[in-house]
Amino acid sequence: MTQVELIDVAVKKSVDARGTACPGPLLEAKKAIGTISSGDIMEVLSADEGTKRDIPKWANKKGHEYLGTVEESGFFKIYLRKG
Amino acid sequence: MAKLCMGLFSGSLDKLTAAGVILSGAAADDMDVEVFVLLQGARAFIKGNENKIDNLSEASHLKEEFISALDTLNVPTWYEFFEMSKEMTNVKVYICSLAGKIWGGEKLEDFNDLTDEICGIGEYLTAAEEADIHMFI
Repeated sequence: MTQVELIDVAVKKSVDARGTACPGPLLEAKKAIGTISSGDIMEVLSADEGTKRDIPKWANKKGHEYLGTVEESGFFKIYLRKG
Repeated sequence: MAKLCMGLFSGSLDKLTAAGVILSGAAADDMDVEVFVLLQGARAFIKGNENKIDNLSEASHLKEEFISALDTLNVPTWYEFFEMSKEMTNVKVYICSLAGKIWGGEKLEDFNDLTDEICGIGEYLTAAEEADIHMFI
């Protein structure tokens, strides 16, 4: 999805993991995705550079769809659709 | 489901922390994990020793910098990483019986709550043989 489309996407769950370093955001994502239904969209807020590659790779492996990443000031948002 | 086998020889805080981070990654991936705690590592698993890790091993001159960075970055303790991983996936922790004895631990109750079994070296090697990933820390 494009950056503009992502900004408007309906998010079912938002996880703010900006206070943690790797592997914190991945663990937060793992816990949170268990609370939503298949097809729902989740966003993960992180300021840890490693997370940008880590969460998309994890999502692909686990059968979730990585929709894209939106850069904000000092952090970013990663969007996933639960598989 | 992928299986990870870890030989945890080191009892230093840096490597215990690294082991905990790797375990939590394996937990996020729903892997089955078996940790075999060997010589120096077993000292950290004696009941009551989890916060008494005074050895940083390879970077002892950087101890203060390391400890303060863990705090600033809000990094869980090695023990918390192990606890979280055990809550999230199937993680079994085995203590090598010889290693336990070296540090005064004979029976399961002598070790912390992370510990599942006391084992011999044969079980470790069999687990390593059967695992998809084997690492020695």
